[in-house]
Amino acid sequence: LGLFNDEHRVLLREIYEGHREFEEVLAALGGFMDSKIVPDSPKFDLHQKQISGARRELLGHGICQIPFPQEYGGLGLPFGVHSLAMELAGAADASIALSVGIHNTAAEGLFRFGSNSQKDEYLADIISGRSIAAFGLTEPSSGSDAKAMNTKATRKGGEYILNGSKMFITNAGEADVYFVFASTEKGPSSFLVQKGDPGLHAGDDISKLGMRGSRTAEVRFSDCRIPADRMVGDEGKGFDYAKAMLNASRIVMGSICVGIASAAFAKAVAYSKQRKAFGGPISGFQLTREKIADMKTGVTAGRLMCMHASRMREMGLDYSSEASQAKVFATEMSLRVTDSAIQVFGGYGYTSDDVHRHWRDARLLTIGEGTSEVLRMLIARRELAKSS
Amino acid sequence: VRVAVCVKHAIDEAELKVDNEGKPLLVGAVSKMSTFDKNGVEEALRLRGGSGEVVVFCVGIPDAKKTIREALAMGADRAEHIVCDPTSLDSLATSALLAAAIERSGKFDFVICSEGSSDTYTGQVPPMLAERLGLPYVGYARKVEVSGPKARVERALENSVEVVESPVPMALSVVSEINEPRYPTLIQIMQASKKPTEDLTPEALGPGGKVAGSWVLGMKAQAMERKRVVFEGTAEETAAKLVEALSNEGILPR
Repeated sequence: LGLFNDEHRVLLREIYEGHREFEEVLAALGGFMDSKIVPDSPKFDLHQKQISGARRELLGHGICQIPFPQEYGGLGLPFGVHSLAMELAGAADASIALSVGIHNTAAEGLFRFGSNSQKDEYLADIISGRSIAAFGLTEPSSGSDAKAMNTKATRKGGEYILNGSKMFITNAGEADVYFVFASTEKGPSSFLVQKGDPGLHAGDDISKLGMRGSRTAEVRFSDCRIPADRMVGDEGKGFDYAKAMLNASRIVMGSICVGIASAAFAKAVAYSKQRKAFGGPISGFQLTREKIADMKTGVTAGRLMCMHASRMREMGLDYSSEASQAKVFATEMSLRVTDSAIQVFGGYGYTSDDVHRHWRDARLLTIGEGTSEVLRMLIARRELAKSS
Repeated sequence: VRVAVCVKHAIDEAELKVDNEGKPLLVGAVSKMSTFDKNGVEEALRLRGGSGEVVVFCVGIPDAKKTIREALAMGADRAEHIVCDPTSLDSLATSALLAAAIERSGKFDFVICSEGSSDTYTGQVPPMLAERLGLPYVGYARKVEVSGPKARVERALENSVEVVESPVPMALSVVSEINEPRYPTLIQIMQASKKPTEDLTPEALGPGGKVAGSWVLGMKAQAMERKRVVFEGTAEETAAKLVEALSNEGILPR
């Protein structure tokens, strides 16, 4: 079966009745990834092939254009279509999906908070994939507690001078543009740093459990001088911007996990029908069937939660709690589903990279883009505020 | 250069399911552009080059617009959709409808079909269409080189390649190895719906399309029987037996 299937088709018809073009866009994207990305996905995990070529093709095909307006070269489609596109990408290859997802987070920040001249200069290139973007908030000694950041930006004449470092930065070293956060006199602020800016250094690729095709490194700023007009939005508002950008990104990370879980589920189902034990396929056993039923239920629920949060965003409602719920549920669901897939495969699951890589990939996302703990805190805070 | 290219909105064989008796479940089955037709569209775009026109012709249900838009997204200029249910049409009737639609669209330098559709794969429409249009026909083309009023075509036959020359205008059927079809970008897919598509009815094209010469009485999935040969002995012995068996089947050279 292809990445884009009847389940997506029905959901699109349910939500966006009368918009068959959304189906055509996602069917084309799925078909493209079926032939251009899926076959190489195991090689990306084993470091036998770099993702850069496939990522360039995928961005060129238009995956990042989906939610952005046409004036910047986007397709102007609803966020839910983007969410499903990122699910398909997650199923095709989680590393590429992560890289593209973070790239899009930076594009979202630029689109929402950048000046017109910044958008004119950078946005069309990022959306079309002509340039690669990265997002830098986490530091070596601060992650969830982002306000504790140590990176400083000091104004000197017509420039800002950045000092400090950002940790676990996806696309670091490959990116042409970094959307980063640094403290100024008025508090956390956001800046665009370009490849080649003096004092910008990307470290070596950090070895990871999963998502091994994507590049992760530290980014250091040593007296990194950038023109003052590279500040994004208002000084001191950086933390608000980061929260807004992460809300969208959390839906996307949830969607990627739905995709990862779908890929592992499909493999487990196929194997359960083929593997025989005690005179029949293991798919005939109730305990295998329980796993299949729970895996599928999780995938469907995760997808619907991501789509619900997407719809709230489309309607202009505050969707921060729903985005957090979708991410907590979908990422934890993907861990259970990929773990069950390993169990269905038995010894072959534990020893086959092509099975356990899905669990290794999923394992990142209860940590990155908001840990499950922090997100639960946000969800609970919202609910408690309602009842007081 | 003007090129007419015919596309079919065919059952997606990858998603086709069969019932317990082996009958394909056609109701509600997903359809898409017949696989090899993408090679036809790609070749049409190549032959058109930077100037000229590629016109897509399709006989199909209203849902076939999806396939037509895909051909337009790939780069075709406009389309003519003969709207009807092709399950009641055989190759004779389909070729009559296509010929009538192509003739009313003016002169074309090339009329291109793929070697056969990925669902029924009769391969009959291309030569019938050429005959009806009075064009020289070269089937199973794997390479086309045009020089002036002539085209040199390599034909992929069972065990050989035949090279032929034909005057242009001509009709062609192409095989999948002729090219690598492009993937339209998402923006091209969105823009395809803005390209002109004309709807035609079989009635408007004359009586020819109604005359079917054959009818499908039934359809069944092909059952593949495995040989279930088990070799016994040591690794060396079973390897030798396997090589012998594969050689006997003609899979390995003797």
